[in-house]
Amino acid sequence: MRVEVRLYASFAEHAPTHRAGDAFYVDLEATDSLLNLISRLGIAAKDVHLSMVNGRVVYDRSQILQDKDRIGLFPPVGGG
Amino acid sequence: MTYGAMTGTKTHSLKGENMDRFLRINMTNRTAKFEPVPAQYKDRAGRWLTSSIVHDEVPATCHPLGPNNKLVFSPGIVTGTSSPTSSRISVGGKSPLTGGIKEANAGTGWSRRLVRLGIRALIIEGKADGLWLLKIDKNGAQFEAADSHAGARLSEVYPPLFTRFGGLKTVDVCSIGVAGENRMSAAGICFNDQDGRPTRYAGRGGLGAVMGSKGLKFIVVDDAGAEGVAIAKQDVFDAGRKKMAAALTEHAITKPRGALNSYGTAVLVNIINEAGALPTHNFRSGRFDGAAKIAGEAIFEGNKERTGKELYNHACSPGCIIQCSNTWHRPDGSEHSSCVEYESAWALGANCGIDNLDQVAEMNLLCNEYGLDTIEIGGAIAVAMEGGVAAFGDGARAIELVHEIGKATPLGKILGAGALVTGKAFGVARVPHVKGQNMPAYEPRAIKGIGMTYAISTMGADHTAGYTIAPEMLGVSGKLDPLDPNKTELARAFQYATAFIDTTGHCLFIAFAILDIASGFEGMVEECNGVLGTNWTADDVGRIGKEVLDLELDFNRKAGFTKADDRLPEFMTYEPLPPHNVVWDVPDAELDKVFG
Ligand code: SF4
Repeated sequence: MRVEVRLYASFAEHAPTHRAGDAFYVDLEATDSLLNLISRLGIAAKDVHLSMVNGRVVYDRSQILQDKDRIGLFPPVGGG
Repeated sequence: MTYGAMTGTKTHSLKGENMDRFLRINMTNRTAKFEPVPAQYKDRAGRWLTSSIVHDEVPATCHPLGPNNKLVFSPGIVTGTSSPTSSRISVGGKSPLTGGIKEANAGTGWSRRLVRLGIRALIIEGKADGLWLLKIDKNGAQFEAADSHAGARLSEVYPPLFTRFGGLKTVDVCSIGVAGENRMSAAGICFNDQDGRPTRYAGRGGLGAVMGSKGLKFIVVDDAGAEGVAIAKQDVFDAGRKKMAAALTEHAITKPRGALNSYGTAVLVNIINEAGALPTHNFRSGRFDGAAKIAGEAIFEGNKERTGKELYNHACSPGCIIQCSNTWHRPDGSEHSSCVEYESAWALGANCGIDNLDQVAEMNLLCNEYGLDTIEIGGAIAVAMEGGVAAFGDGARAIELVHEIGKATPLGKILGAGALVTGKAFGVARVPHVKGQNMPAYEPRAIKGIGMTYAISTMGADHTAGYTIAPEMLGVSGKLDPLDPNKTELARAFQYATAFIDTTGHCLFIAFAILDIASGFEGMVEECNGVLGTNWTADDVGRIGKEVLDLELDFNRKAGFTKADDRLPEFMTYEPLPPHNVVWDVPDAELDKVFG
């Protein structure tokens, strides 16, 4: 399966273009979880503060991903 | 431009007075009077005090621009001390935008100077002909004519004022722009930042129009020779201050080089967009294709490209540890605009379909120059776009529209009156407001708790009334599902806690740290106890917050508000919002339960 990924804030350095919010695609096994994806991207799981799958915040990282899922990963962010 | 000597003014000396006074200004005859703080207002400051005075002294049914409205300034409880991130000034009055009570606050050294002169509240009454400058220092208050500054951009009038009054080391300046002079409902009140930029706003609700209606253009505060803020229990204060500073320095969002310091508040553009809750094209969608181009990360990277270095943000006001205030630079590296906040980048960008950061920054700059609330103006332009005045995404035309406001043309005055008036003028049904105030940058259909807050807030649609975004979106102080409509308790608790923070003089952004780090929260209460000599506990935070809200609710009831005003606009109940395709579905009965 193939998922669509966007990395934000300081995670942008792990993206192919090194730019926050640029979409790229990752091929995964059918049994891969969110956590598997995070490690494939070279990001330390403890640094991930928020994960979004299809616009929904997901706190359970063992969630198995589906083909065409849209994933967004964030370090701690806040603002107003 | 320079001023002559102050002539024909009355001086009212502060010398020999005890600390902690009210300074009452009558603009009709331009007199000033110091008064002791009335016993019933003991321990009140910031929003608690502005809302108390407005509640007790302003007839709720008065015209907001008439002589019976008052404009009240009050620094917070710990403002002027060594407590970090605490230089806020609360400004209160009856709002010409909503017709209800208003408190808007800003971070600025102006607040610090005012309280160090022993002025707990500055109350502006009456109505003058022409425009005036009020100068406050340890010798008292003086007035002089300021008509010659009418119509000027604020960046043109601030530097000569600093030169004349001894520079940034000596004074800070509060002002209205051309929008306030023309009594537009989207006019804010401007304060300078630490570098003298006229960029920090008590923006919402049209308080700039109230100041303009009184004929007051500038308030210059000079605290040379001031005694400072008395602290009742130094050890208690010191312990609290240390806990607060430690929490701010530790939390990933508020610490130096943390999210706010690196990317500014606009770091939220991407996250809220990813969540499908970034209002786009006048609240037609929750996702904007160009979001990443106007986000905090783009500002950071763009600045790096254009200036050749990594720029971290600065403190808007003295003593701020968080330091979230950014600058945007032109292609040649020179500074263009400050501060491009999340709310401003969204309002002038995504909400209008504009993804060009230079254009968004220019509109932001112009709002600062003309004295406008960026949220209300972005909202009004988006509604005007809906009404056919310009195409969504046409940044060049949007910039022209802001200039129309600055020139106070008839079209500019319609836009400057806010989104609701603009919607009426152009026959638009999709006006995303509550109580006449345009919604900020969080889609209530996709984040239910903030929607409840917009609906019932005493301020009209206002995210800072209770920032439920922290647990609903950011995983701070909880991990809630934004689409879950069961947020009655949350909406109540956050509004009470926020009313207390707005009373302390702290910037609301301390909330990220103190909601997650319990000792930071304790520190906030201890700092207040240290200054006041009180014995408040965490329970008093809720009690005082409730007291503030009860005063505001009572004022609004007397002003004519009913439950029917505590509702989101109808279109949100029948137009599903992409990408989640959700409508506003929180029952009215739940909204009515929040404040009982
Ligand atoms: S956190 Fe930001 S807005 Fe708040 S006082 Fe500090 S610089 Fe100003």
